[in-house]
Amino acid sequence: MTRLGTITRYVLLALGAIAFLFPFYYMIVGSLQTDPDPTLAGAFPDPSNITGQNYVNINERVNLFVGLANSGIFTGGVLLGTVVFGTIAGYALSVLKWRGRGATLVLVLLVQVVPFQLLMIPLYVMIARDYGLSDSYLGMILPFLINSTAVLIFRQYFLQLPKELFDAARIDGAGEFRILWSVALPLVRPALLTAVLLTFIGPWNEFLWPFLITKEAALQPLAVSLANFISNVAASTSNPFGAMMAGAVVLAGPAVALFIIFQRYFVSNDLGSGVKG
Amino acid sequence: MTATDAAPTRSAAAPDEAPPSRRRKRWLGEHPLGLLLSTPYLLFIGLIFAYPIVFSVWMSFQDYFFAAPGAEVDRPFVGFDNYLAVIQDPAVWRSFGNVGIFLLINVPLTVALSLLLATALDKVVHARTFFRVSYYVPYVTASVAVVAVWLFLFSQNGLVNQVLGPLAPEPSWLINSALAMPTIALFVTWKGLGFYILLYLAALQNVGKELYESASVDGAGAVRRFFSVTVPGVRPATVLVFLLATITGANLFTEPYLLTGGGGPNGASTSPVLLMYQKGIEQGNPDVASALGVILIIFVLIIAWLQYRFLGGKES
Amino acid sequence: MRRRIMMTAVAAAGAFALTACTSGGGGDGGTEGRGDITIWYSNNEAEIAWGEQMVEAWNAEHPDEQVKAQEIPAGASSEEVIGAAITAGNAPCLVYNTSPAAVPQFQKQGGLVNLSDFDDGDDYITERSGDLAEQYRSPDGGFYQMPWKSNPVMIFYNKAMFAQAGLDAENPPLATYDEFLATARTLQSSGAAQFAINPAPTSEFFQSWFDFYPLYAAQSGGTLLVEDEAATFDDENGTAVAEFWATLYSEGLAGKEQYQGDAFADGVAAMSIVGPWAISVYGEDVDWGSVPVPTQDGTAPEETYTFSDAKNVGMFTACENQATAWDVLKFSTSEEQDGVWLEETGQMPLRQDLTEVYADYFEANPAYQLFGDQAARTVEVPNVPNSIEIWQAFRDGYSNSVIFGEEPVADFLTDAATEIDELAKG
Repeated sequence: MTRLGTITRYVLLALGAIAFLFPFYYMIVGSLQTDPDPTLAGAFPDPSNITGQNYVNINERVNLFVGLANSGIFTGGVLLGTVVFGTIAGYALSVLKWRGRGATLVLVLLVQVVPFQLLMIPLYVMIARDYGLSDSYLGMILPFLINSTAVLIFRQYFLQLPKELFDAARIDGAGEFRILWSVALPLVRPALLTAVLLTFIGPWNEFLWPFLITKEAALQPLAVSLANFISNVAASTSNPFGAMMAGAVVLAGPAVALFIIFQRYFVSNDLGSGVKG
Repeated sequence: MTATDAAPTRSAAAPDEAPPSRRRKRWLGEHPLGLLLSTPYLLFIGLIFAYPIVFSVWMSFQDYFFAAPGAEVDRPFVGFDNYLAVIQDPAVWRSFGNVGIFLLINVPLTVALSLLLATALDKVVHARTFFRVSYYVPYVTASVAVVAVWLFLFSQNGLVNQVLGPLAPEPSWLINSALAMPTIALFVTWKGLGFYILLYLAALQNVGKELYESASVDGAGAVRRFFSVTVPGVRPATVLVFLLATITGANLFTEPYLLTGGGGPNGASTSPVLLMYQKGIEQGNPDVASALGVILIIFVLIIAWLQYRFLGGKES
Repeated sequence: MRRRIMMTAVAAAGAFALTACTSGGGGDGGTEGRGDITIWYSNNEAEIAWGEQMVEAWNAEHPDEQVKAQEIPAGASSEEVIGAAITAGNAPCLVYNTSPAAVPQFQKQGGLVNLSDFDDGDDYITERSGDLAEQYRSPDGGFYQMPWKSNPVMIFYNKAMFAQAGLDAENPPLATYDEFLATARTLQSSGAAQFAINPAPTSEFFQSWFDFYPLYAAQSGGTLLVEDEAATFDDENGTAVAEFWATLYSEGLAGKEQYQGDAFADGVAAMSIVGPWAISVYGEDVDWGSVPVPTQDGTAPEETYTFSDAKNVGMFTACENQATAWDVLKFSTSEEQDGVWLEETGQMPLRQDLTEVYADYFEANPAYQLFGDQAARTVEVPNVPNSIEIWQAFRDGYSNSVIFGEEPVADFLTDAATEIDELAKG
């Protein structure tokens, strides 16, 4: 029974993994092809059709180091803002009771619901003209500083913590701030991973906003440089598909690597016992 | 949502001898710290969103277009004219219908698949990292890139049709007006699933192990344990997944923009936000686009509220 | 407290709205200012090379009026960027990548300087571009754009595929619609190519510029989509062109699906509608030939019109040193700089007597000769209000009727013409 269950589980996961990884694998193969090959054979590397030219092109046209550094600053700023201000807002919106909480929660939801395309030009006018922040990291970061979805996620995890935990801490005479810092925060590390991932993707892949706000090539994040590269090369190469795929691999690479490195620090299996103890 | 605003009742005791701290609590609630902790977020919203949103709503009642500073232009108040223009446009109705189809496929699929895969992943010992990373990869990759792969895979002579052989749909997936939207829904599910799996995975950590143990003692099989312990145990996360999937779905833009080249075939995959983009940014009618945006927001809020009510988010 | 926060937010919003209305600057600076300026050009490699040498040459001679150049992408998003910059008042002085289709909108926004306001403005433009310049005049009679360069489109065909299909690869029968269709059928039935031709079948507003419009320009002898505030295409010529494309699509000679990559380079399509840029792109990879676009009964190449696919230079009102900008504009469109441009990019300066002025170049590069000749007979997108909305309306109807065959061509032309008449009135 359990044996069968385990096997089913692995089969399910493996099927899922194939469905998830195949297009990505296809992307890498595609980025290495001299000519795109849509047939079944094209899914396998063909020695006569392999080239690193697409990557060489990127390296020649895009300053990868500067792009990475800018992406890092942009993404890092957003992550910092979201983790610091998002957790405390999420905590306030779940565990604490205060006047205005309901209204704030509605606000968090409302912000989610508004499509960015609606706000883009007024926002640009405000940040570029009223705040004078064009061509600066701050102008790039500001509209993304606190990810509202992350606030919701933090709130959801704090809600899942048993109420008795907080009551017990209060009876012990711990202040609210101390409860947040030494009781609640250590217990929501998985939420931290989820929120960090969610937040990371936005600025890392964001093209339009940093592109609107910066005209200095020296300030542009990797996504912008690569999008420029793709739009350019697509018009002047015989294999735009390969160029696009290579750009995608370069952009996804660091994000995947970071996830592999950090994922084990975030997800703990022993939270259940932690709550009990 | 209003239930969360419930005023603290304890502080109402013995009003005549209430010490100052009690009075403060009456004004600010039981934990005034909450307000302090939320201040940065509220400031952020005030600074970044308040003006553009207020501005957009105002714009939707004017005959408005963006002009250079200092340029003298006439922008009269036109009441509900822009809203009327939106409501009378059959393309708008079609786009809402398209998003409806999208949500009907995408949301249930996302919830079911992510919970199922997360549960399986939670109990796996070997190759955990591998599985987790593989689910995460599509989510982390820029849409522009994965869209290109999907276009390649799902094109007329693409790999999918070649594998399907005679079963391949005619016309092919993305140029078939009946299949374009479902294909996009499938794509978005695939692309976003990794994130929702992580959401559930984290939520599963908080389902007490003793609940499973006692269910096992009662003789419940794996399937029953899943439905009687896991599903109720992660309900807050499910509410969140429903809400987020609905909201991102309603704001669908990049995928039809890139996958079906601007909402083809024949507008069968146009979304409201894509229309907004065409009208507001490409064609210079931000007033009509804003009216469409306001209608969309109201529409999404109603759906979100209904989900919240019926999925039982109210106990929070 | 909550109320207080809301009030602050609203007050702040009000303050912004106020500055949005009153803060002026730039717009009325007049045409006399001199000093440093910023320009934007396309990020296409060949164009960058030209831009860099142009700026260097200018800066070397004008130490007090330095030009700073930045890149913007050539894609559809460049119009969004310029539009947003106009609204925020931080547009550069000159943009060497302004789409004529976007000019009416930028003009309406108050973003563009009327170049006719410079003393020698009108004369300079009409002298350089000749009769071609008239298409770029705005309805109020002013030039809000400097006609700069065009990419007149023609048919490229793959000689190897034509030979494989048993067709004459040197003088392919492609002049009339009947010939073109017969050739297309042969190409496909012989297995030489999957598609005879494969223009992007997607719904972006500009896609009609590369299928319907060039053929319509040729068929109608140089008529714009909209003239005198009315759509022109609901007539015999429009019907002939639309029916021609509808036949290609319904017989599967043209693909209904977006191709990832370049269908012509990948050998998926035997023909393509391209501008002179294609010469350097396909140069060595494909053995190509080129012919003018077809017309119903065939037209002599020296009389065939086509779509210009031009990009122009706009001067923006946010510019404080407009006198300098005008001088730079004239410098960069001088005979010498136009020559460098041609040399670097292979795109055609919008200049009259092109093939005579640069006779040496065309002699050395005969492949460009056809395009150089063609550049004299080009049709631009109409300079009318709601230009992009008009093209989107046209494209939506075209996609529905011509590509996907859901509606008779005649109905599409009549409905689209009615809608566009309304839009063109402004």
